[in-house]
Parts: sequence; C-alpha cells; structure tokens
Amino acid sequence: MSRKNEKDKTLSVRIGILSFAHMHAASYAGSLPHIPGATLVGIADEDRDRATRMATQFGTTAYPSYEALLADVDAVVICSENVHHRRLTELAAKAQKHVLCEKPLATTLEDADAMIAICAENGVKLFTAFPCRFHPAYKRLKAATQEGAIGQIIGANTTNQGQCPGGWFIDKKMSGGGAAIDHTVHVTDLLRDMMGAEPVEVYAELTNGMAHSDYDDCALITITFDNGVFATLDASWSRPKSFWTWGNVKIALTGTEGVASMDMFAQNHVVFSDVAERPSLHNWGDNMDLEMIQAFVDAVAGTQDLNAPVSLATGEDGRAAARVALAAYRAAETGQPVTL
Amino acid sequence: MGFRVGIIGAGTMGQVHSRAWRRMPDIELIGVYDIDATRASRIAADSGVTAFSSFEELVNTVDIVDVCVPTPFHAEYAIFALEADKDVVCEKPMGRTLEECDRMIAAAEASGKTLMPAQVLRFFPEFQSTHDLIRKGAIGAPAVVRTHRGGGFPRGVNNWFADFAQSGGVSLDILIHDFDWLRWTLGDVERVYAKTRHTDGIHEDDYVLATLRFKSGAIAHVEGTWMDAAGYYTSIEAAGDNGLIHYDSRETAPLRVARRRHDSSSGAGIHSESPVSADPYYLELRHFVDCLTAGVAPMITPEDGRAAVAIGLAALESSRIGKSVSL
Repeated sequence: MSRKNEKDKTLSVRIGILSFAHMHAASYAGSLPHIPGATLVGIADEDRDRATRMATQFGTTAYPSYEALLADVDAVVICSENVHHRRLTELAAKAQKHVLCEKPLATTLEDADAMIAICAENGVKLFTAFPCRFHPAYKRLKAATQEGAIGQIIGANTTNQGQCPGGWFIDKKMSGGGAAIDHTVHVTDLLRDMMGAEPVEVYAELTNGMAHSDYDDCALITITFDNGVFATLDASWSRPKSFWTWGNVKIALTGTEGVASMDMFAQNHVVFSDVAERPSLHNWGDNMDLEMIQAFVDAVAGTQDLNAPVSLATGEDGRAAARVALAAYRAAETGQPVTL
Repeated sequence: MGFRVGIIGAGTMGQVHSRAWRRMPDIELIGVYDIDATRASRIAADSGVTAFSSFEELVNTVDIVDVCVPTPFHAEYAIFALEADKDVVCEKPMGRTLEECDRMIAAAEASGKTLMPAQVLRFFPEFQSTHDLIRKGAIGAPAVVRTHRGGGFPRGVNNWFADFAQSGGVSLDILIHDFDWLRWTLGDVERVYAKTRHTDGIHEDDYVLATLRFKSGAIAHVEGTWMDAAGYYTSIEAAGDNGLIHYDSRETAPLRVARRRHDSSSGAGIHSESPVSADPYYLELRHFVDCLTAGVAPMITPEDGRAAVAIGLAALESSRIGKSVSL
C-alpha cells in the first residue's frame, strides 16, 4: 500500500455504488475509506430511502439516478438484485465506466455474455466480486497445492453453507434461483482458480427441505473438472436461525500424497453473552472485501500488480462460475449429470 | 438358557467378537475356524477355546455361528450354517453382491433361523444418539445430512481390503456403515450418484464422495477415505427444517495423551481417545442373543443388510458409468 501513498496526490479513483440490494454493498462501501486514492462518490438506488440511509451511514452522497451517479465516477460496484446485473452493467459500460459486479454475475448465460460483450465494446473492464480469492487462508492453500504439498489432487469436499438470507434472494424472479445460484459460485471460482482447471460436468441434488417453498434451499452439487478432479459442494442454506454464525466456506482436498483443508472463517472467538439469545462467533481474520476493493481500485487506476498470487475475477470467471450453478438446476431436473 | 458360539474367521473382527462373546455369562464360546490353521490356533489359544480344522464340525457343535471372514465368503458360510439350523450373525457388508445377499435371505427364510447383519454402527452411542435425536424431531424434518468416515488404509489379512473384487473398496467396505445408518435414520434411498478414485482392481488408495437422495426427499453427502494422512475420524451433520445436529469425533474425544520426545524438538505421538464403558461390539452381539432368547427379530434385518449393500454397489456403479443410479 506504500506504492499507493506515493500516488495519492495525483490519483483519485472515483467509485460509485449502484444499488444496495445486496448486503455486501455495505462492506464494500466501508472498505473504500481505507483505500488511499479512492473516493466513494455516491450511491444510487432504485430504493431512494435506502440510498439516503446508506449515504448518511457512509458519509457520501445519495444520487437521484444511476445515470447521474455514472456521470461523476470512474468505476462502479453493482450490488443490485441478480437479475438487474445485466441492465446496470450495460448502463455503466455505455457510460464508459469500469464495473465490479456482485456475484452471481448473471442468472442466464445470455446475460453474462451480453455483459462481457458490452464492456469489451466500450473498452471498460468487467470484474466479478469473488472476494474469497483474496483471503489469506485461500492464498496459502493455493500456494501449498501448487507447490505439490499433497501431490496430485484427487478430490475436493467443499461447503458454502449458510443461513437463508430471505428477502429478494428467495424471489426467483429477482435472484434466478435459491441456494444453488447464491452459494455455488464462490467455491467453484476458488477451485477453478486454484487448479487452473475448468468444470466439464455437473450433477446436483436440489431440494426445498428447509423452508418447503418454491425455491431450492438444499443443494449438493458434484463438479468434475477437466484435470480429472471431482469435487462436491454443499451450497445449502442449512444453518438454522439459532446457528452461531452466518455460514462457512470450506475446502477439504485429498491428494495422492496427503490432504489439505481450509476453513476460511475459522478465525473466531466464541462469544457467550447473556444479552444475546445464543452464543455467537466473532471473526478476527482478515477483511477479504477490503483487499478485493483495493484490487479493483488498482485495476481502474492501472496500477495493479500483475504478479500478484491472486487477481480479481473477470467477467469470464464470473460466467464460468454461474454456468456451473445454472447447470446444477438442469442436472437436478433430469437426475443425471450435465455436460458443459 | 445358554448358547454355544462358533466364530468363522480369525482376522481382526473375529478377535474383536471373541472378546465380546467371552464377556457374556450365558454364552459358551466353543471355538474358532479359519482356513489358516495357524491364525485360528493363535486366537483360540488367546481365548482359551478350540481351533477347529473343519468348519462343518464347528458349525455342528454350536447354536450360533458368527461369520467374520472376508466379504465374498459370507454367503457360503452363512448359508451352510443356516441350513444346519443355526442362528447366524454375519459381519458387514452382508455380501459382495446382491445375489449373495438374496441367497442368504432365502436360506434364512427356509430355515426359520435368525440372520443378523452386523451393522455395528447402530450400537455406537454417538450414532445411536444422533439417530434418536433426529427421530424424536430435534431438528424437525431432516433435509440435508453429511457424514464422513475414514483415515489411512486398513491392512487386513492377506491385504484383502485392497482387492476391490473382495472388499468393494471404500464404497462397500467402510461406507456401508454410513449407508446403513442413513437408511436407518432417513428411510429408503431413491438414487445414488458417486465419484470414487477406483471402482475395481487392487488399490490401497480409495476416496469416495457420494450423494444420496432418499424417498423422504432428504438428501445426503457421504465422504469416505483411505487417503487421509491426518488420521481416522467420523462426523455427522444433520440439518432439518427446525435445527441442526453436529458431531465430529475429532472434537469430542475427552482424553488426549502426548508423550514428550527427547530425540526431537517436534511432534510427539498424540493419542486421543473417546472411551465408553459399553463396547459397541458387545452391545451388538448382546442384542442378537437377547433377541434369540426372547424369540423376536433383531433390529437389523437381513433386508437391511442387503439394502446397505445395494447402496454401496450403486455408488460403485455410478462412479463406473458416470450416471446416477436409481434403486
């Protein structure tokens, strides 16, 4: 970050946030004050009250429209409902602004392709918000596997379980699905990035066994990669309301020479408070969102470290991960694996 | 009323069972048979019983036959014993093929004698307790369940576990425990999809990730391994529409002993233990005897044993053909 400090006087990357529908927006907004040379210019949201509230909370301006905000920034972070990612990306790209889009990139491959195409046509960069790439535990796991710590990877048993987020996440018209589309993409992206391999086949068992509603909340997905590795991913919203934290990101690898496992959010205190209704976990690990937003600011400024061990996920990366989630829905319908 | 017991097979399980039988006052452990006479003599001497050189003779001398030989030989001995009008307890997995299981079931029916597959996991307190909690509604309706079992490769007599034609690898030999427990807890399985490192041949490295869908609508993820350098453990996580149960043997061992090493600055051998006063193998065999005495059927039926084998074979088949397999 000292590299950035030298440029403070000349460089100011102006960032706007389009929509606070996805709660990750608050973490991204909270990261920007910690990044020298970056400014959160404002927030625009179709929910005007939310825009005002969030602008007050983060000490920035609530803009009356996406267009007005786009006129004042270099780049935007899009945190709308999933189905609006395409529309907002198109607005930003046409205004020649770089985009960091919340995951999943899109709810159809057609949308993902259109987003990638319009950003390319307008000469702007498109990134997908996969902050887990920036967590130090993941970076160590990636380095260890690449150094051959466990030999050749055979299989991966992974989870991204969570509590049901409710709200628009369980409205398929807004989210494009349930737990599978919400929680498949992070770990899929990590496995692709870690192994440099592409998914070739997807199987899934999806159910609505938790809430018994019209969306999937239990998802057991099997992904086969082009390097022969097979992985399973539990993407279920299976943490009850009484659970002591939101969820987890875990990867357990079995290799020819050993095993390696990562529990990304294991760096916790257990807090027993008589004020709260239940014990809770307080995480003291690194803020991976801050590192991702820093990388986005660097990418916009053209100062990114091309030799960094991990890089921002691109639009293509976002598409590849979303493709697995979408294939999971097709596999679940037929009860047989889907070839990508 | 007492029973005379004979053990067929003097390997690991034969020894474990002989210790359990000898603790029962109403049981007379008569003897042991093994195709390897030396092995039979060793366990017989340890137990103070007779090593039989003929299994026919042993079978004809006892009331209960305890089949502890490698999997593909279960049917042969179990059927011989049933036809000789003996009650039979048979190690898991019940058979290497469904055809073997069917023949055993038919022999049990024809003889009217009792045949119990030794799915001992049902007598492990942590698994029994999880089953009971779920069945009592502690988590509501079960929705998604996860289990883990495994560690390093087990070297048995003549290394038979490595021979998939005999053991069926991780899918059949060790995951049979979880398949039976899951079916006991969640009901019948509708379909199986699995990825395994191997499906046949001779291998000491096997790793399995299986997904099960139950007729109840519940789904389950089952991991099994002979490739975990970090050591053996088991775990269960069961999520339902009203809660979650979590169990991990690595977190629940109340005893841990590490001895200081003077020749090295690093890692002494650490021994951790989860002692329980009632040996699950004892409880399992005791249940069998109590059922014989009371004239009732054991909680584990021959059909249960067959159903667990069917799930394990479906996992192997799924991995071989790359498709899900419906049961």
